[in-house]
Order: sequence, then C-alpha cells, then structure tokens
Amino acid sequence: MPSPTVLHVDLDAFFVSMELLRRPELRGQAVIVCGGLGQRGVVNTCSYEARRFGVRSAMPVSEARRRCPGGVYLPSDFQYYAPASKAFHAILREYTPAVEPAGTDEAYLDVAGSERLFGGAPGIAATIRRRIRDEIGITASIGVSTNKLVAKVASDAGKPDGLVVVEAGEEASFLAPRALRELPMIGPRTAAALEQLGVRTIGDLAAIPVSALESRFGSHGLELHRRALGQYLAPVLHERARARSMSRETTFDTDVADGQRLRGILRSQADHVAAQMAAESLAARTVTLKLRFPPFETLIRSATPGQLLMLGSDLYGAALALFERAWDANGRRPVRLLGLGATGFVEAGRQLRLGEDVRGIQLERTLGDLRVRFGSSAIRHGHQLGDGDHYP
Amino acid sequence: MKVQVLQENLQRGLGIVGRAVAARSTLPITGNVLLQTEDGRLKLAATDLDISITSWIGARVDEEGGTTVPARLITDFVGSLPPAPVDIQLAERSREVHLECARNESTINSMDAEDFPRIQAISGGPTLQLDPKALKHAIDRVDFAAASDDSRPALTGVHIKTDDSRLTLAAADGFRLAVSDLELANAPEEQIEIIIPARAVRELSRLIADTQDPVEMRVNAQRTQVQFVMVESELVAQLIQGVFPNYNQLIPAEWNTRATVSVDEFKRLTRIAAIFARDGSGIIRLEMAPAEEGEAGRLKVSARADEIGDNEGVVDAQVEGQSGKIAFNSRYLSDVLNALHGEVTLEVTNPYSQGAFRPVGDSTYVHVIMPMYVDWGGER
Repeated sequence: MPSPTVLHVDLDAFFVSMELLRRPELRGQAVIVCGGLGQRGVVNTCSYEARRFGVRSAMPVSEARRRCPGGVYLPSDFQYYAPASKAFHAILREYTPAVEPAGTDEAYLDVAGSERLFGGAPGIAATIRRRIRDEIGITASIGVSTNKLVAKVASDAGKPDGLVVVEAGEEASFLAPRALRELPMIGPRTAAALEQLGVRTIGDLAAIPVSALESRFGSHGLELHRRALGQYLAPVLHERARARSMSRETTFDTDVADGQRLRGILRSQADHVAAQMAAESLAARTVTLKLRFPPFETLIRSATPGQLLMLGSDLYGAALALFERAWDANGRRPVRLLGLGATGFVEAGRQLRLGEDVRGIQLERTLGDLRVRFGSSAIRHGHQLGDGDHYP
Repeated sequence: MKVQVLQENLQRGLGIVGRAVAARSTLPITGNVLLQTEDGRLKLAATDLDISITSWIGARVDEEGGTTVPARLITDFVGSLPPAPVDIQLAERSREVHLECARNESTINSMDAEDFPRIQAISGGPTLQLDPKALKHAIDRVDFAAASDDSRPALTGVHIKTDDSRLTLAAADGFRLAVSDLELANAPEEQIEIIIPARAVRELSRLIADTQDPVEMRVNAQRTQVQFVMVESELVAQLIQGVFPNYNQLIPAEWNTRATVSVDEFKRLTRIAAIFARDGSGIIRLEMAPAEEGEAGRLKVSARADEIGDNEGVVDAQVEGQSGKIAFNSRYLSDVLNALHGEVTLEVTNPYSQGAFRPVGDSTYVHVIMPMYVDWGGER
C-alpha cells in the first residue's frame, strides 16, 4: 500500500488575503478582488464573507455586485501579489524538486523522496503551512493523499486554513459523501448530464457500473468511474531546478480533425504554460508546436517572434500561426497529439503598444489564472463556445 | 554620345544616385544608371520605382546622347580610376559604351536610355522652401522611429504636415513616436499632409548633409509623389497612401515625475545596462527619486539577465514631483538618447503609460515611448 506523499497546497483566497495584509481594516468584510471593474470584469477571488452572498470566482463583476452590493470591490494588482507568489513557490521547492505549480497560488508536491529528510508528508505539510503564515503572513490549506486528484479535494475540504490527510486505501470512502461538484476536472456539461442520472454525490457516481457510464460518455466513462473512486495516475510533474522549457501536451483517444476543437485545446495549453511562467515571473522568447498524426508522425515547429511571449494570448497567437501552417501543409488530417511549449526564458516583460491600456493585460492575467485554477470551462474565449454551452 | 568628365565628379555623382539603384528587381534596367547629356552637363539617374535620385555633373559635351550601364560595374570601375578626365563614348546604333581614362580603356554593354523609367518632374502642386540644416536635424530625430515591418504601411513612413508656417515631421512604429517641428520662412499657399517612405527621407538627409542652399519640396496635386530639388541633385519618391494615426493624443500632457539629466551620462548608463539586457528580455528599468535630506535627486538605470547577472548605475538628476519608475526596451531607449544632446527631461505618469523625452531648452521635439510591462514588485 503506497503512503500518501502527494500534497496539494492552496493559498486561501490568495488575492484577498494579500489585500487584507495591506488594508487590515477590511478584515471581516465581503472583499472581492476583480480582474477589471468594468463591463468585462470578472471576480478573481473573494473573501469567505463574500461567498456567503453567493459571490464566486469567475463570476461577472456585474452579477457579483447584484448579489453583494455592500461588498468592497478591488482591482487585482499582480505587481503586488507576484513577490508573495514567488516566495510561496520558493518555500515549496525547499522540500522537494517535485513541485508542479498550478497557478500563482497553488501547487502539487510529491515528497516521496524527502520524507526521511524532513519527516513524513503530514509533518512537511504542517511545516509548510506554518512557514507560509510566518514568512508571507497569509494562510494556506493543504490536502495530502496518494494522488493529485484526492489531494486537491482534500485541500478544498480543509479550507480555510486547514490540513486534511487521506490515508492510502481511504480515497474512495473520503470522496463518497461529497457533492459531485467537488470532484475536479468534471465539466459543466458532464455534471449536468450526471445530475440527470440522479447523481448527487461522488459516491453515487462510483456506484454506477462502468458499462453504463461508457454507454453514456464513451471512453470518458471509465475515467469518470476511476476518478469517483479516487484513482488518478497522473504524477506530479517534476520541475527541474530551473526549467529550460515548459509545455503541455494532449493525446486524443480518438484522432481529432475539428479545427475549432484543436484551436480551443491549443488556447488552453497556452494558458496553462503562461500560468506556469507567471508563477516564476518568466516570459519566453520561443514557442514550440508539436503535432502528431497517426500512427506516429510527429512534427515540431517553433517561432521566435521578437517580442517577448508572456501572456496566454501571446503564446497562443504565435503557436496558432505555426499550427495553421503545419496543419494546412498536411491536408488538415486528423490529429493524434497536440502540444505547446515555451523556451528561451527571460524575466517576465511585455512591450506595450502605444495607446494600449495595461488593464487589458491585467485582465488577461486574471482570466488565465482563473482558467488554470477552475478548468478551461470556467472562462472561455468566444471561439471556444459551442452549441449547448452555458455559463457555469 | 561623346562626353568628357572628371573622374572625381563622376565618382561623386555615381555615389549620390547609387542609393536608388534597385537591389534586385524584375525590371533589369533598374539595376542600371542613366547617363544623359543635358544643358551642357551630364545627368546621372537611378530608380527602384519607389525612389529616384538624379544628379548633374559638369561635362564637356562633344555629342549629345544617353545610355544606361550596370550600376555596380561602373561604380566599382570609376572608383578605381585615378583622378583624371574620363572620356565616355557611345557610337551611333551601338550597345557598347566605351570609357577611357589615363591609358585605361574599357567597354561596357549598355541598355537603351529610351527604356529607362521616366522620372517625372513635379509641378502644379504646393511647394515649400526648406532650410537644409533644420530639415536634416528634424529628419534625423524622427526617421528611426518609423516601423521597419510593413504590417501597417502608413507607419513605415514619416508623416509631414504643415500648419501655417510650421512644418511637423512625425514617425511611429506602434511602440514609440517621434515628433519634430520646424519653422518655415513662408507659409505655403496650400496646406500639405503626406507620408513619405522613411527610406526616402533618410536618403534626403544624406543628400542635404553638406549643402547650405535651400531645398525645394514639391508635392503633386494628386498627393502621390514628392520631389526634393537641390542645386546638383533631385529626389523623387512615391508617397505612402494611408492614414497616419492621430498622434497628438499619444503625447502625455501631464506627469507625476519629471527627471532632468545629462544625455551623455544617461546614454553611458544605458549602454552598460544594455549589455546585461540584450541577451534576453531587453528590459531596462529606470527609477527616479527626488532630492531629500541633502541627497541629490537621482536616476537609477538597471538591468538583469537570468544566469548572467545584473547591473545598476546611478546618475544625479533633478527630479520633480514624486518618485517614479518605468521600464523600457533597451533599443528604444538607446535610439532616443542617440538622437539627443545636452540635457533631456523624462516625464512619467506611471509605470504603464508612455514616457516622454524632451530636450531641455528645445520645445520643437518630443519622443514618446511605451514602457514594458514588468513585474516591478519581484525582488530576487
């Protein structure tokens, strides 16, 4: 039986906590940090007081104002949060090189090799929580389990300021009583379909025979079943001391020839890589596109556009041009694997255009951060919306 | 055709027109130089169809006529000759130009002067008289800000506009903007607003470098061509058709921090910081602090490069308003400083809005650069 060595560390309402650090008089109030306060503004993070009014991350600011008119609405200030985020990731890296950042304020760790040095996983988790409180002045919740999926649910269960350890073999029973929406990586459409089947809890989902799930959700059915049981194989991605490249790849069960879908996936890969770069305050000079056609014909194309690539849209724009050219040159055949990578890292920076409003960049950083934290379905670009999609 | 010219004059004339020779063209004759007798002088001309340059040199004309010869060949050949008279001769109905100078003879295969693209003189439109020194000064302070990629054609040119007796030159590439004014002796009879290709303006600056005589600028009525007439040469350029952005709104009217500093010192610190910035991001950070408690105001110029190291230099500066900071691309910063002398003021409102550079004591120039978005808070 493996011991639980995977940690999910999540800063509690990170942006709000940072704002409260410099404006302690707002403590106890409904504080809402937004990416843009205008028409297109979206809630990034809100205090637990604001959540009581039904305000949620990724909600349009207009909607939040309706639900919580007395709230304190603040624009997000990445310049101010960045050093704290950096310090946070630096603390984590002291305990293992296996740190996989999942945004500015959360990360997965695998401490399997570090236990003898620093004590067991629960002990390391307690130390990390204490150091974040002492050195940054904010709180973190940590979930500990045998895999990333359960660790993530556990850290959510511990929020705020909690530590939840799920022992090996207890994953399924830990998940079973929890609401279906607590299971990560289930999109709104899948969730709606499951609710129609009468599924309320994760345990309900686990009780459905695999064959029934497969007939309803295809090859995704087996994966749903496994997740409901707390089985998740993806390892914590080891990050070398200083990464030379950051990338995301998607291999399709069934080859994909739908251009819109491929572009949407590329966009989400760009956002993930951009979030990973943001966690270390880096920008890239080069973007790489990887394309595989069945059975195993792999193309790699790269571009160095001259301007630094910092945002998801920067990476996406450069990678999309590569994709369209390479895909056209191959007769727009079905694709088996699509990947996007960034290399040539330098300190984060982006040349602004004359007349450009920096709030556009700050909004994009907020949206990118939200997409990575809440899944690509939380916030989408218009071109990624298909029939039947609705605001989650 | 039979003419005699001095080698020095021919070499100089070829040097002037050679800048307009087409580098590679589907029209082979544009790789040639036109040689043609005209009013007792020898006219030299070259064109790449966008820009045409014509120059006249003194000659003894024994027989009128014209021809065209490959520009590279004749330029290299004449450049190697001793300073002595050169005889140029083209026999009737022959294609071979015969050149002779100080016991050195050569024959060059020519193409017919009749086939050389005609360079129209411009008349009928508005005309301006310009002081060559002031014009060159204005050009040299703006031309480098024009776009080098042609995704927005209007930005590859220099915008020229009159407002009564004031002439304003402006260039912008989407990230920076340079605007220079000069006073005209007389207001033109009709107002002019055109976009001249930056390359043509650079060639003009070269052509007028040594002249004291006024330069005449003529624009045709259709606003498709401009001609600059000098004493010994002329330049004709096709104008860029398009709308130049309304740039006045991009020049900040206010500031929160204003630093005045020696251009040479600022340039020196920028050059050093650029060594650290160039291998990667190109980010140069500027931080300005007003004088306090007996300490002089200062401008800090810094850069850092992952895995290489960092650099920081400080110069005394007169800083008004509050402390301020801004980050610029090292190339844009060096470009503007290289165009200035004496003292410069840098006006900044916040780290993410354009910074304005103005030469001290000279209100005819402003240079605006958009900053780089960087994580200012991030200390390592």
